[in-house]
Amino acid sequence: MSILNVRVADVEQVTDVVKHFTLVQENGQPLPRFSGGSHVVVSMNINGRIHRNPYSLMGSPENTDSYHISVRRQEKSRGGSVFMHDGVTVGTELQITYPVNLFSLSKLGKKHILVAGGIGITPFMSQIADLNRLGDDYEMHYAFRSAEHGAFVDQLQQMCGDRLHLHIESEGQRINFHKLLSNQPLGTHIYVCGPEPMVNALLLTAKDLGWPKTHVHSEQFLAPPIGDSFKVQLAKSNMEIEIPGDMSMLEAMEEAGLEPDFLCRGGACGRCEVEVLECDGALMHNDHYLSDAEKASGNKIMPCVSRARCQKLLLNI
Amino acid sequence: MQRGYWIRSKPLYGSLVWQTPAAAHLVIAGGEGGIAVLKLFQQMYPKDPIQVLYADLPTADKNYSDILQQIVPEELELSDSEESLLNQLEQRLKNCTMGTHFYVAGSEAFMWQVLQKTRAAGVQDVDVQKELCGTLARPVYCVHCKTITRDVHHNVFACSHCGRHLFVRDHFSRRLGAYMGVMVDAEQPGNIPQIEEVYP
Repeated sequence: MSILNVRVADVEQVTDVVKHFTLVQENGQPLPRFSGGSHVVVSMNINGRIHRNPYSLMGSPENTDSYHISVRRQEKSRGGSVFMHDGVTVGTELQITYPVNLFSLSKLGKKHILVAGGIGITPFMSQIADLNRLGDDYEMHYAFRSAEHGAFVDQLQQMCGDRLHLHIESEGQRINFHKLLSNQPLGTHIYVCGPEPMVNALLLTAKDLGWPKTHVHSEQFLAPPIGDSFKVQLAKSNMEIEIPGDMSMLEAMEEAGLEPDFLCRGGACGRCEVEVLECDGALMHNDHYLSDAEKASGNKIMPCVSRARCQKLLLNI
Repeated sequence: MQRGYWIRSKPLYGSLVWQTPAAAHLVIAGGEGGIAVLKLFQQMYPKDPIQVLYADLPTADKNYSDILQQIVPEELELSDSEESLLNQLEQRLKNCTMGTHFYVAGSEAFMWQVLQKTRAAGVQDVDVQKELCGTLARPVYCVHCKTITRDVHHNVFACSHCGRHLFVRDHFSRRLGAYMGVMVDAEQPGNIPQIEEVYP
């Protein structure tokens, strides 16, 4: 996988839990172009162990001088976001992947409704730049807990004007999805990024109101959940590795020197899918990619976020 | 079509089935497509508003206006030509909202004329239920003179505009709503294979 070597040019504390990082290429060259909604995967060396987390690019796609990512500090997680907050300062060198877009705007859309919850605002920042450039009709709905948690509100007001609708939970403002999704003109597409209950509520409402799936887009990157340790046998590599509780199978395979395919590392894209040859216990699927039927059949697993509880697990890799 | 081989752009059609949940339903049919509408109303039909647009067509062996007037419970709009049906459809699409499901039935040429209208309104072809009725006649685009001949029944035919003998391929353009027709005797002028009626 192609890697870009970048340096942190600026760090901004946006709210008490969100930091915004400006990244420039170490060799001073312009960065690759990208489309609104793209993300990069940032590699972090935390005490000798490599963590890789996906973050949406939130700058304008027209700006190739620098990339912009924002990170919400997640205390109860495996340390990636805490490292970004505490260990990364101006001048820190990082490695990122080339941008990949799993959350692109539909070119067929007549109108676009963007719905963000909390830090889920980040992919929309670059999408809005695209929509403004194209002159497309859109609405930006941004929900957050309280006024002090509203990251980038000033910037959004400048970018969106009266297309911006803020929903501040502490002031009793919640998005009424039923109202939002009723009576929208034909050709409207809706995009949602935020906490899982919010995304699920929106997807369910859209289905109930007869919206076709082709018009409903969502992005959720999952952090690999922490679990019990277990052992995995790798058929093609002919080796057995131990998966510690705070490491994903994908990370453990990388640690063992393998180079499995990946793109999002968050259970969304399906790139790291691996065939399960044998399992004498339960697979714990945590991804959004496999269908319920595929999960039930137990023939495939996403090593980026899923785990297993068993004595023997044989993967075809 | 050879065994084990197909051209991916060749559209395949199913039978119309009500799609629920939905905000509303818009059914569009022409000529022999009327039978698919009758079949729809033999299913338990949804409580949401239903509109039916139908046109009797001179090319159809059988038309269904009379029966539909008895069967369709509400909002049936009849036209006397494909052109006026398409105009009505264009008007109605302006008032449709997301959550409206679309159903189209008739000849292939008719269906893809309708799909050009729904697509222009932002509806994706894949989200429209389609049922092919009455005939396998194909609209064919001459790749040489860029015109479309409708109601082609034979594997090889003379282009209605430039007169070239065209072989009808399975290669289909959704944008044009037509199959590709390529000159069959370009390399050996006059060497035309046996002409057979394969799209009755």
